[in-house]
Amino acid sequence: MVLAPATRETRGGVKFSGRERHNGAVASTTAVDPAHPPSPVRPSLTSVGTIVFLASELMFFAGLFAMYFTLRSNAPDVWESQTQLLDVPYALGITIVLVSSSITCQIGVLAAERGQAGRTGKLLQVGQWGMREWFVLTFIMGAIFIGGQAFEYAELVLHQGLTMSSDPYGSIFYLATGFHGLHVTLGLMAFLLVIGRTFMTRRFTHQQATSAIVVSYYWHFVDVVWIALFLSIYVIQ
Amino acid sequence: MRIESLIFAVTAVFLAVVTPIYWFMSNDPTGTTALTLSFGLGAMIAFYFMLLNRRIGARPEDREDGEVEELAGEYGFFSPHSWWPLMGGASAMVVFVGLVYAWFILIIGLALVAITVIGWVFEYYRGEHAH
Repeated sequence: MVLAPATRETRGGVKFSGRERHNGAVASTTAVDPAHPPSPVRPSLTSVGTIVFLASELMFFAGLFAMYFTLRSNAPDVWESQTQLLDVPYALGITIVLVSSSITCQIGVLAAERGQAGRTGKLLQVGQWGMREWFVLTFIMGAIFIGGQAFEYAELVLHQGLTMSSDPYGSIFYLATGFHGLHVTLGLMAFLLVIGRTFMTRRFTHQQATSAIVVSYYWHFVDVVWIALFLSIYVIQ
Repeated sequence: MRIESLIFAVTAVFLAVVTPIYWFMSNDPTGTTALTLSFGLGAMIAFYFMLLNRRIGARPEDREDGEVEELAGEYGFFSPHSWWPLMGGASAMVVFVGLVYAWFILIIGLALVAITVIGWVFEYYRGEHAH
């Protein structure tokens, strides 16, 4: 007897005709079936896990937003006087830098998705940049945001007298923007780790691309949270 | 992923209906903020699963005629064993002890966290695993 791989007709040693529909499904993994490829594409466990983690992060920030609006409704007079201390145009400036960094981050992810770790041209040939260059640029922009926030805090603490313990407004202002800044800082470190990995391997692997993608999810999330914080603290006041 | 997306979408739709009603009946900023962001929690996951559904189509578990064996294959990379999670727990413990008792313990803890994170992230990128 000739040993043949199991096919639609010979599976289980019993000969079936292809017209028998109930058996078609059983054999669909061995027979070539264009509608159901043998190796199914799955959602990446890392990406799904990251999104669920970010959803829980949203609830963390929900606590901070709820604190902000609760204090605001209980102490409108404090808000009336203390929001005058904010430098809105300055905050808008660093906000624009942070929001733009999401765009450079996404261009870096596109490079990662096509498997390009580093640049193929010279440093100033922006069109030839790979993931590494775009992520370094994103890192610099994120660092400018954090530096800008540090100067803003210094101005408020040293010259305006707004501190964590001076009044309810100071407490929630530093808690909300500070926890956000902490998230941005952790994101910056994640960028460094992703960039670092590209230097340690000869070729850019799928795993590295996945890391780059989930770090970008995190970065976009932190960015959106900042837009909501900016609208709450600086625009609505 | 259609069913998963719908499950989270139901949460989002429910909260989208309930939140404005809550606000107009109570004028309570705390609960309204919490409900609004809970809407975001459901909507965000539902939206992502919808995108995945569009990208990968029906998985074997989504089809009536799906078979268990169709799910065979590579799921991802899982470390067979590693000391870094233990280090992670230990250094987190030092950080929290430092937060409670003394700032110098906190600094030691943060240094341990840095070592752990770098060791964990690069574990399969160095030594015999270098590629």
